Amino acid sequence: MDREYKRRNFITTFTKGDIFSKLSFLFCGLANIRYGQVVKGLLFFLLEVSYFVFLFTTGIDLLHDLATLGGHEQGMAFNEALGIYEMQAGDNSMIILLTGVVAIVVTICFIAVWLFSISSGENARFNHDQGHHVNSFIEDVKSLTNENIRFLLLAIPVVGILIFTFTPLIYMILMAFTSYDNEHQPPGHLFDWVALDNFKTLLLSSEKLSQTFWPVLGWTFIWGICATFSCYFGGMILAMIINSKGIRLKKFWRTIFVVTMGIPAFISLKVVGTMLGEKGIFNVLIQKWGWTASAVPFLTQASYARVSVILVNFWIGVPVTMLMVSGILMNIPTEFYESAKIDGASPFVIFRKITFPYMLFITTPYLIANLIGNFNNFSAIYFINSGGPMTLDYYKGAGKTDLLVTWLYKLTADSNDYNLAATIGILIFIISATFTLITFQRSGSMKNEEGFQ
Amino acid sequence: MKNKTVIGLRLEYFLRALVAIIVGFVSLILPFTSKEAGRKSMVSTALSLLSADNTAGVTFFLYLALIFTIVSLALGVISYFKVGIKIVKAWMFVQIFATFFWTTLLFALKLILEEAGIEDNFLLKSAGIGFWIGLLSAYISLVFIMKLAEVNTGYIILTILGVMWMFPVFWILLTSLRAEQGYYVGYFFPKHLTLKNFYDLFHNPTVPFGRWWLNTLIVAVCGCILNTLIVLGTAFVLSRTRFTGRKQFMNILMIIGMFPGFMSMIALYNILKGLGLNQSIGALIVVGAAGAAMGYHITKGYFDTIPKAIDEAAIIDGASRLQIFTRITIPLSKSIIVYQVLGTFLGAWSDYIFPRLLFGDRQSSYTVAVGLFWMTDFRRIDAYYTQFAAGAVVIAVPIVILFIWLQRFYVEGLSGSVKG
Repeated sequence: MDREYKRRNFITTFTKGDIFSKLSFLFCGLANIRYGQVVKGLLFFLLEVSYFVFLFTTGIDLLHDLATLGGHEQGMAFNEALGIYEMQAGDNSMIILLTGVVAIVVTICFIAVWLFSISSGENARFNHDQGHHVNSFIEDVKSLTNENIRFLLLAIPVVGILIFTFTPLIYMILMAFTSYDNEHQPPGHLFDWVALDNFKTLLLSSEKLSQTFWPVLGWTFIWGICATFSCYFGGMILAMIINSKGIRLKKFWRTIFVVTMGIPAFISLKVVGTMLGEKGIFNVLIQKWGWTASAVPFLTQASYARVSVILVNFWIGVPVTMLMVSGILMNIPTEFYESAKIDGASPFVIFRKITFPYMLFITTPYLIANLIGNFNNFSAIYFINSGGPMTLDYYKGAGKTDLLVTWLYKLTADSNDYNLAATIGILIFIISATFTLITFQRSGSMKNEEGFQ
Repeated sequence: MKNKTVIGLRLEYFLRALVAIIVGFVSLILPFTSKEAGRKSMVSTALSLLSADNTAGVTFFLYLALIFTIVSLALGVISYFKVGIKIVKAWMFVQIFATFFWTTLLFALKLILEEAGIEDNFLLKSAGIGFWIGLLSAYISLVFIMKLAEVNTGYIILTILGVMWMFPVFWILLTSLRAEQGYYVGYFFPKHLTLKNFYDLFHNPTVPFGRWWLNTLIVAVCGCILNTLIVLGTAFVLSRTRFTGRKQFMNILMIIGMFPGFMSMIALYNILKGLGLNQSIGALIVVGAAGAAMGYHITKGYFDTIPKAIDEAAIIDGASRLQIFTRITIPLSKSIIVYQVLGTFLGAWSDYIFPRLLFGDRQSSYTVAVGLFWMTDFRRIDAYYTQFAAGAVVIAVPIVILFIWLQRFYVEGLSGSVKG
């Protein structure tokens, strides 16, 4: 008897359930209605009906077109009624892809509703059979402010993410497997599914594309590592100096550096970018001061430009680390320092043996997140110099300081090679995911979120 | 000297400081000018500067560097015989000035020597060894004297770094006040100061900056309210309640977050166009709010640190989860709320890529970031550079003040996110 009323999972709900439970797989909400939750059950059923209406009126066509991405190219066609050739609108592969994705997302949502209705019906049955109280509709609504608060508070974010993040993302991911480049622009032309061709040309071919991809990837890594660690150590040292004993006006010093954080990044980056130009103020001044005889190609020669962007990023990034480290430094137990001093440790040894290990332990997740952030640091690169200097060695548009992300942006905004951009996006995802997985394995704080309780 | 101790001084550094200042003094008679100018020493350079007809206004830097080095040596010698805190402090201040003026020579030497006709086409790297030794020993003596006086030598680094950090900030401030228009000017300090750039910025028919500013303010304020509420709600649910699918939900958000954001912008743009929202600032607000939940981590981390026992006690007292959220969790989270609001507010002012795509050529809905960027296009930069600078100042000043005022919360928010 007791066994019978054990909670059932999705499958046993069907195999062990009565006729209502079984039928509720076909007619959503039937079990709810059977056990007294009429309004809820009807709502489920209404959702199901409206989904199938959508599916059979438009959805099927959309999904079918998605498989072909359209067959009629725009062009001249003979109009028999008028007896002349005229321009006829063809299929628009982009719209077909987008609406197809919408149909897929709607279907996913319906599947979620379907699963939810089954578990909800099962819950109603369980409560009913056990003699528990079965919530009425009004009680269900009331529970939104209490035990079911997740539905209340997560509804807007979930809908928002579904429409404005998830759908576009699926669309772009699918685009990586099409031929939507600058030669296949709708509405004039169709594009088609090409499976993994884009990945092959980007990664393996000997064409210009892969000759661009690998150097850009290499620079992305160099940049990410240099930018992250330079700011990390710079900020740490700065914070330690400001927080060390005997420095007065700590707040004043901190504020000086924090000013650069308060200025919106695009302004400070753009300003410094213009200052570094060939006739910018830096070049004017260093010639006036007699430091160099001619202008330094800060942003116009590959190696100089790369050093310049790392230095400018240092200028922007150090205060952020400084602020964060200041908070942590105050938490290091002072006994450590006192006993080290008694043992006669020099300041350098204290840093190497106490401060740094402590800091590293705490900030590893931050460091990895920062590394990923720097791989994708669009603004630092784009606002200073738009990825320049341009070069003929690379695929059109890409420059010597371009990261994968800025190149991705240029491919979408300037040359309309959406398929390549999407392919790069997926590769960036793979890189970020790898690093995140490493963090997850290493960091206790991410694994154990209850650690603080 | 050896067995003496003075409270407040670390005499073991005394000898080193003295040696360094003596080296600095010796450098005054080592070759200072370049080979072409005959390798004159600093002292004889100063003498010929005194007799030169035509000297630059900054020549006094060189005299002062010279004088302060000599005075510093004198004070060092005096304190050798009669050591005391006061004299060492005086020595330190003199050496600070000496070091300062030696440093200014790095920038002014070319001007000084060329104006007086001592050098032609002078390059710093051709300066004589006396200059470099003098500069280096000025710093070394300063470090040792500061150590002797038990003053933290970090001040030196902080001062140098502070100047470097503020340099671009001053540049943009001065440019915004510059009367001479144009991007390429050959000097740092403007010849004439004016407020006209600010006036023009708001009265220029082709550059509706006031409109842009207002647009951005609307986006920023709406964003602050909506995004913060959404983030707080999401973080609360994910931190304080447990339900099936919670982990999966967080994983999905994380996976979505690992794709580069503007990869999906083209599609987003098309969706907005389909909804009839494109080219309006409403779209910017909606999209910002829709994606806000993705940034729940820091707030959730903060909520995780609030003891669960508080919630449990409230539940026993009959409070609903919503009441716990509004009456307990939110009042306990002032610093994370400020952090969130500040972050959204700042973000609205510097968000560029998506607004750029969204607004296209419709100038009237631009935000300041898009507008200012439009002004610095290479075709317009020369005409608009001073106005761009004025715009940058107009935007940055309130935000910087806000930021400095609220930085405590920012630190708490940041360090809260990375705890153990």
